[in-house]
Amino acid sequence: MEKYDHLEIRCPRLGGEVTFFYCRRERNNLPCPHIIDCWEMYFPVEKYLSSKLSREEWDRCFNQAPKNKVMTLIELIEAAKNQKQVPD
Amino acid sequence: MDKRTKFTLSEEEIPRYWYNIQADLPEPLPPVLHPGTGNPITPDDLAPLFPMELIKQEVSTERWIEIPEEVRDIYKLWRPTTLYRAHRLEKFLDTPAKIFYKYEGSSPPGSHKPNTAVAQAYYNKMEGIKRIATETGAGQWGSALSFGGACFDLEIKVYMVRISYDQKPYRRVMMETWGAKCVPSPSNETKAGRDMLAKDPDCPGSLGLAISEAVEDAVSRDDTHYALGSVLNHVMLHQTVNGLEAKKLMEKLDVYPDIIIGCIGGGSNFAGLFFPFVKDKIDGTKPDLRIINVEPASCPTLTKGPYAYDFGDAAGLTPLIKMYTLGHGFIPPPVHAGGLRYHGMAPLICHLYRLGFVEARAEHQLATFQAGITFARTEGIISAPEANHAIKAVIDEALKCKESGESKTILLAHSGHGHVDMAAYDAYLSGKLHDYEYPREMVEEALAQLPKV
Repeated sequence: MEKYDHLEIRCPRLGGEVTFFYCRRERNNLPCPHIIDCWEMYFPVEKYLSSKLSREEWDRCFNQAPKNKVMTLIELIEAAKNQKQVPD
Repeated sequence: MDKRTKFTLSEEEIPRYWYNIQADLPEPLPPVLHPGTGNPITPDDLAPLFPMELIKQEVSTERWIEIPEEVRDIYKLWRPTTLYRAHRLEKFLDTPAKIFYKYEGSSPPGSHKPNTAVAQAYYNKMEGIKRIATETGAGQWGSALSFGGACFDLEIKVYMVRISYDQKPYRRVMMETWGAKCVPSPSNETKAGRDMLAKDPDCPGSLGLAISEAVEDAVSRDDTHYALGSVLNHVMLHQTVNGLEAKKLMEKLDVYPDIIIGCIGGGSNFAGLFFPFVKDKIDGTKPDLRIINVEPASCPTLTKGPYAYDFGDAAGLTPLIKMYTLGHGFIPPPVHAGGLRYHGMAPLICHLYRLGFVEARAEHQLATFQAGITFARTEGIISAPEANHAIKAVIDEALKCKESGESKTILLAHSGHGHVDMAAYDAYLSGKLHDYEYPREMVEEALAQLPKV
């Protein structure tokens, strides 16, 4: 466990309590895009994360424009169609 | 002014049409481009997930779209919902403001969400679909769709983020009571879920993964579609049944709101109430109407945070965008076209915000619970934590009226009750939530890192 992992807040997206450990691994072991907004009230989260993430990981988490929901769904449809053709 | 507390319509007065704001936008929504081809998406692109009637509604510019009689019949189980005058809250605040709230907590699942869940279930049934897959976080949408599925004898499969599945057993039980099958995500039932479990058997899940599982489920079976509870245009459309009722009720009372306030996550609850009113602002009938979207300070989609700055394009159209730097001199490239504003928020609301027809503000968690407690102790309703954000803003506006002596009419979109969220109230009442004063030196350090624009 890392320094702040035990801390808990209410997640506005999930509507329940989550730990910092959850937030910093929420997206396939990378932080949730909202992690800085949620946690900056409690400790210097930006500084902490900048010491833990590579520049590439940082950009992937925080500096990419999120897609419109419909675009996201279309990408998921394509991915699911491809998976249909490739058995486990 | 009428002294009554509750104002209702008859079942016959349930609106017969939904209102489509896309007919009245001064500028149309920009088209959504297919990520693969770069061309505008077509109905075929969405056909694996949604029935054609909903796809048509997604892009329709018809002003009025008829509510099927079968849907209106189900609506009669709890609609029309009541418009309340918050006399006791007004008295407690000692404000000359007149506070009204349209309460959606009387629906079977306890929120506004069945307004669209029932409609989506109906259109899927009409297209011969047997199953609908969806994801849910806290379980409100999963509960609503489970109820909608029960109304039309559809099988509902809900992928519930595992951390919530473990924390909120009663939401799961609600879904199962309505006949749905609710599984924790990641699950063993999709490739996306299995892949994640192979990597991390204890994975607590995420909304993104749950959506992936639900979409994969829908795409992999011919008898199954997918449903989404917010954000999309057709969802906003279905929610307008609430705003149309509110407008009709206020017309009967011969009052019109000066300020309309609601909480926003994806945006559908508030859009449902304010879209029929914002039409009057767009056409110039009510230019002074204020519409305030209230969001959590921790999820500031519309409001700007302490790091926000304007990269400003020549036309001045680029909105303020919140960006983060790695410190030590690294400045990330600007993100244009409001991309960050479209994350998890209805494009229609973002569009109206950009055009200046609505306002936004952010509220911190602790203050919203304080407001929720005040509301419960005056009006009696224990509100969903999300609704407390809007209640906080209503109280603030009512207190401003007290200072100015103005008797403004405030209309609150109350999205639902908090009976399945008592753990959050427990955290507040037991003092686990606390205010935090951001250290001055941290603010100064952060400001020093802002790019010079």
